[in-house]
Amino acid sequence: MASDPVTTKPVLEIRDLALAIGGARVVDGVSCAVAPGEVLALVGESGCGKSLTALAAMRLLPRAATLAGGEVLLDGENLVALPEQRMRALRGRRITMIFQEPLAALDPLSSVGTQVAEATGLSGAAARGAVLAMLAEVGISDPARRIRQYPFELSGGMAQRVMIATALISRPAVLIADEPTTALDVTIQAQILDLLRRLAADRGTAIMLITHDMGVVADIADRVTVMYAGRIAETGPTVELFAEPRHPYTALLLAALPRLSDAPKAPLAVIRGQVPLPQAFSAACRFADRCPLADERCRAEQPPLREVGKGRLSACWHAERVR
Amino acid sequence: MRGLTISTRVLLGVLLIMLAAALAAPLISPHDPLRQSLLLRLKPPGSADALGIFLLGTDDLGRDLFSRILYGARASFAVATLSVVVSLAVGVTLGLVAGWVRGIAAAIIMRLVDTMLSIPAILLAVLTVAVIGPSFTSLVMVLGLTRWPRYTRVAYASTLQVAAMPFVQASEMAGASTARILARHVLPNIAGPLMVVATSEFGLMILFEAGLSFLGLGIQPPAPSWGSIMSAGRQYVERAWWLTVFPGIGLFTLVLCVNLLGDALRDRLDPRSAGR
Amino acid sequence: MSRPALTVTDLAVHYPVRGGPPVRAVDGLSFTIAPGETLGLVGESGCGKSTVSKAIVGLQRPTRGSVVVDGVEIVGADRATLRAARAKMQMVFQDPATSLDPRMTIGDTVGEPLLARGIARGRALAERVAALLAEVGLRPEHASRYPHQFSGGQRQRIVIARALALRPSLLVCDEPVSALDVSVRAQILNLLVELQTTLGMANLFVSHDLAVVRHVCDRVAVMYLGRLAELAPRDALFAAPRHPYTRALLLSVPEPDPAAQRAKPRVPLAGEIPSPAKPPSGCRFHTRCPMARAHCREAEPQWRRVGESLVACHYAEETTPV
Repeated sequence: MASDPVTTKPVLEIRDLALAIGGARVVDGVSCAVAPGEVLALVGESGCGKSLTALAAMRLLPRAATLAGGEVLLDGENLVALPEQRMRALRGRRITMIFQEPLAALDPLSSVGTQVAEATGLSGAAARGAVLAMLAEVGISDPARRIRQYPFELSGGMAQRVMIATALISRPAVLIADEPTTALDVTIQAQILDLLRRLAADRGTAIMLITHDMGVVADIADRVTVMYAGRIAETGPTVELFAEPRHPYTALLLAALPRLSDAPKAPLAVIRGQVPLPQAFSAACRFADRCPLADERCRAEQPPLREVGKGRLSACWHAERVR
Repeated sequence: MRGLTISTRVLLGVLLIMLAAALAAPLISPHDPLRQSLLLRLKPPGSADALGIFLLGTDDLGRDLFSRILYGARASFAVATLSVVVSLAVGVTLGLVAGWVRGIAAAIIMRLVDTMLSIPAILLAVLTVAVIGPSFTSLVMVLGLTRWPRYTRVAYASTLQVAAMPFVQASEMAGASTARILARHVLPNIAGPLMVVATSEFGLMILFEAGLSFLGLGIQPPAPSWGSIMSAGRQYVERAWWLTVFPGIGLFTLVLCVNLLGDALRDRLDPRSAGR
Repeated sequence: MSRPALTVTDLAVHYPVRGGPPVRAVDGLSFTIAPGETLGLVGESGCGKSTVSKAIVGLQRPTRGSVVVDGVEIVGADRATLRAARAKMQMVFQDPATSLDPRMTIGDTVGEPLLARGIARGRALAERVAALLAEVGLRPEHASRYPHQFSGGQRQRIVIARALALRPSLLVCDEPVSALDVSVRAQILNLLVELQTTLGMANLFVSHDLAVVRHVCDRVAVMYLGRLAELAPRDALFAAPRHPYTRALLLSVPEPDPAAQRAKPRVPLAGEIPSPAKPPSGCRFHTRCPMARAHCREAEPQWRRVGESLVACHYAEETTPV
């Protein structure tokens, strides 16, 4: 099983993760790794399993989903095998997460200061000092006033900054960001993405960024893992992956995006068909029905994730022929 | 019937059997429920005489308990169904108007709802009966006209929600009249929560009927009603326990069935609307 | 010169707020759309673009101003006039999940405009519905199915089919592709462009996504806090934006091209969007504008022509190209 080659030793490594809902494997054979200070983007459309993968890493899976195999290694420690008590000590301290709707993730009845302080484990003056410093670092002006405010008084961008403060104040090794800017305006998104990138670089935090937006990926991700229907399609450094995709899904996805450099009103590439439902998964490549390169072999056998270049993996029989 | 769990099917089956028995009372009743016989007073279950077996015994006037229970079931179903229909009609109409028109009309209607809900049901029942006299009709009126606020509340909240939906606005844009929108779009979409309320109210109406008849304010003797049978049987609890126990079992079973089915209905509707 | 499909003059929508100043969601908007033209309306939250689309179709009563659709005044119109006018304009909403009645078959939904106005019934209606479904790329057999049996992209096609039923002269699309996946968006955008050429409807396309707007629109209007910042032909706006907000917006859109994206300035626009209840004095954008000067705080800029754009900025000539 080819592993994702990262040059520096990874702090978070997901190996062969498999998750099942009902009888179907909605996430299968997913492996990826993030090094300290690096941003890895996990990208795909709705239903590809990227959010579930992130939740599995935090051991926060919904009840309907079960772990069917694989490991999640944080600094070498396998998170999925840990007793819940140990996991609780790590969750929110060494590995933290921020979500898409910041106002939904904040407790409406607790002040900003209280919520950020909860993540420190400190109390009193020490907590207050730490909170004020962190709020300033995430770009919140007048922090002394803000810590007394309640979530409903915050705008979307401000609330997301508070979430980031809560997630990073304990200096975690890994931050998982699940669609952190999807609900934000585009000018605010630019601010938040810049903040995440800077904080990762300054503090050496590894960031796993879940998103469906290829523009966001192009902006701050160092490496990308593209997921489709619960499996990895391909993975590699951002610049190379965008320039030369090695999986037909990635190529079509990039071609389907309207760009500011396109000729206007030119028809966009269309991926015909739909994402298969978990019940329809078979031994064939899951993209075969929609793939322009598909042949007999694709319809009979699932391609394994294999190395197709320096630091690049692809799960396609025809990786060399893409583009 | 597809997709129903075993337990739901069992409940539905029991309910339908009881309903069938009630409807078929004239056909299957072994004795005339009104036929008195001083010789056959307070006979225990299983007693027999020249006329046949008294399955569940006889009451203080020698009437067959089983037959009276069958006919009493008719009364229960009839009162419960009719009162639910009346309160649904009144309550949903008011709730729909309040939710659609809003403004002053809604304020007035909802204040009326609050007022009605503050008045104890028993007091209202006693007053009404005192005014128009106890009978089947007055029972239905009392129950129908005191329970409508519960439907109004649910209909109001649901209507507010549905009226804000883009598909209702799209219908307005399409040129549909208000009547059409209410009938074709709003009503079908608020029916779910209303049905849940209706089933629990149905069970409650059966109990109310029994209670009011027990107090002498409902179905009048000699017409059988589970409540009045139990009321008459009060004095004979030690000598003729069957007079209170069997109607009581009937009541309990019926209301339990209806309530559990109501729960199953709510569960069925919830995940479907949540899993949009 | 035929009359415009839509003329909006000094449109304002103010929401009263108890114990405070009203929220000025839309505060004096004017523009026209020619027949067959697609005008994009872009802006971020609080700019009022959704309110504009609702006011145009009569779902929101404006505080002042005029909206004339195909020669008919909508503002203050009585029920009968509004109903008649609505035959000429239709709306495509954002969320395909709530735009269709879950308890009606899609055939009934698509046919409702024709049925409600007595235009067709029975078999003639079924035929028109089948034709409409085919026009948006669905099969006639689908008419007896329910919305939950379709995917998001297909539902949006159904919504479009319903909007086309009366052959309106104006189509108002409020974020029609925002709730859809990327691969599905492409299909709907292609469909909209195709319908533009075959049906020649005027279209008001409201969106926050500049790349999408560029793909389907002929002219683009940029809104900020209830007012128009800039209005220009598409190519002019994207090549040479005149308003600093337009420029910042263009730079903020992340491009799916790592090299190009990373060459752009990091944070094109700092600061938060002010609340529509308390817009800044003078030029509303001055609190965040990189080019702001003292004059901007005092005086509201005039709506004037600079190059190919109409723009509201005192120093529009100084805006550097992207």
